[in-house]
Amino acid sequence: MSGLGLLAEYTYEPFVKAMPVWDGWYVWLLPLCLAIAIVYKSIRCDSMRRVPRQAMALFAFIIVVMILAAGALAALVRILD
Amino acid sequence: MSQTGRRKSVPPPVVALVTWLVPGSGYWLLGQRARALTVGVTIIVLFVLGLLIGGVRVVDPPESYSGNPMRIVFDKPWFVGQILAGPMALATAAVTENSKGPNPWCVLYSSHSRSNEIGTLYTAVAGMLNLLAIINATHRAGQKEEAR
Repeated sequence: MSGLGLLAEYTYEPFVKAMPVWDGWYVWLLPLCLAIAIVYKSIRCDSMRRVPRQAMALFAFIIVVMILAAGALAALVRILD
Repeated sequence: MSQTGRRKSVPPPVVALVTWLVPGSGYWLLGQRARALTVGVTIIVLFVLGLLIGGVRVVDPPESYSGNPMRIVFDKPWFVGQILAGPMALATAAVTENSKGPNPWCVLYSSHSRSNEIGTLYTAVAGMLNLLAIINATHRAGQKEEAR
């Protein structure tokens, strides 16, 4: 059976088998970054009223920096190749 | 819901222990309920999402706890982060251990590649965020004790 056939037959069982995230794995970095931003700002801010805005700003900052870092590393790999 | 916290004094070691047991609960003891719920729910959701993505076996404890502690840590470094999430990580590790044994009560599959990496990352980051919460809640408890 081909690899695609095996993938089509794969049935996800929560907690028992892995979720098939092989293709869009990088999308799963977004909830992780959001959680980091929320917890970090909840810890840092004196008033919880400021957390939503500050957490969203930090979330956006992390994403932008990750994209820039990915671009820089991709450029470095091309230069070294 | 309390935002800045009522004047409650709880010994810092108790706050640290309670925050490890249930993420965010140390803030609740200090009367900071909004902070407790935000931190606790986020950490627990992150940990459970990790298990949903990579399966329960992403929490993979060392084979043995005897011998050189450094070797145990280097053997399973992610487990150090995961265990900081509290008893939910210990319970998950116990389920993983059982599934590897001769008479498992449930069959669990090991995940590989990206699924395993992301699941491991989620659960370990949940534990490390809980460590931040433990340190911060303990610090806040200490400040309240000094203010009395």
